[in-house]
Amino acid sequence: MNLRQFTLNRKLAIVAVALGTLALLAQPHRGPFVRLDARELASVVEAEVDHVTAPELAAWIVEGRADYRLLDLRTAEEHAAYHIPTAENVPLTGLADYPLLRNEKIVLYSEGGIHSAQAWMLLRAQGYEAVYMVLGGLDSWKDEVLFPALPADADASARAQFERAAQVAKFFGGEARAGAEAAASAASAELPKLTAPPPMPGPATPVAKKKKKEGC
Amino acid sequence: MMTPLYKYGFFGEEFSLLVAFVLGLGFGFFLERAGFGSARKLAAQFYLYDMSVFKVMFTAIVTAMLGVTYLGWIGVLDLDLVYLVPTHLGPQIVGGLVLGVGFVVGGYCPGTSVAALATGRIDAMLYALGIFAGTFVYAEVYPAIKGFVNSDPMGQVTLPEVFGLPWGLVVYAVVVIAVVGFWGATKIERWAGSRS
Repeated sequence: MNLRQFTLNRKLAIVAVALGTLALLAQPHRGPFVRLDARELASVVEAEVDHVTAPELAAWIVEGRADYRLLDLRTAEEHAAYHIPTAENVPLTGLADYPLLRNEKIVLYSEGGIHSAQAWMLLRAQGYEAVYMVLGGLDSWKDEVLFPALPADADASARAQFERAAQVAKFFGGEARAGAEAAASAASAELPKLTAPPPMPGPATPVAKKKKKEGC
Repeated sequence: MMTPLYKYGFFGEEFSLLVAFVLGLGFGFFLERAGFGSARKLAAQFYLYDMSVFKVMFTAIVTAMLGVTYLGWIGVLDLDLVYLVPTHLGPQIVGGLVLGVGFVVGGYCPGTSVAALATGRIDAMLYALGIFAGTFVYAEVYPAIKGFVNSDPMGQVTLPEVFGLPWGLVVYAVVVIAVVGFWGATKIERWAGSRS
């Protein structure tokens, strides 16, 4: 058989039919299955670039930054009782169906840190690139942002830092503690009422959904 | 590396506009090289003398479909992230008919009119003015027809989902339809040509 007996159009048609026939076996959708690069994830964890600290997050909120999505992984009741301002409530089981974009900066927190670490792994495995945990979760938020304490043997720079932290605590409705008060556990302190939370910038969508026009 | 590159955050919005510009130039260039910068060639499609529009568009569909299928299969393209225009069956049939009538009357469709405009054709310039006028009128009457435009929402759906068929079967069927269509189109061109 001589290939020259076919015109270019016929050759292309034959290639298309061959590829189309092979495509009968194709499974182009990956579905719920994911692939993990274990080494990459491990190095991310080791480099400690997978988290933000509670004071860092507090600074973002004070600045009114809107380039991140803050997800509260606790139950709806816990979320209603108190949550970090700007947080959206997403229980762990609802995470897979929650509308998030792959290139959004996603910040997770739970009570401690275990649930957010597990959610972090789930999201990373699904190809979400910029996922962070609040280090220490809501516990850390209470201790370091709402009710920061000044250690007894603080030097001048620690004192200056404490002054700033006290301002931030006030912003979020908390209260800084110094001296003897610091000994009291922050956990026993009453959480700020959510009657007048700071203005919510709303879910940040850095990539505005645009209507794409397609056609000839 | 996973695609779509933009949605995986490999580049930002500014760069994506640059990419769109380059792709648009390429699109226009190949439309022009296919002869689609001429209203005569385009309108001939509807008088069945020249089925180039059908052949070029169906070739583009088959090429893109096979490309997307295989890239998804080997795991380079995340098909779940590819943007699809949401389907509104009734309104889109009406919209397609309006576009088709404009295509026959004006001799261009929106993309080819811009390609023809770039080559300096005066009829394409008038056509482009018509596009702006039409867009303006649409925006003005939109409040009145809003209910219809947004009726029948089916979301971002694909044929395999609507018909409940395996993806590969639909791909195969479209390829077969295209090849049979090309063969038939050539027959029709000869028949129409012999009548004139």
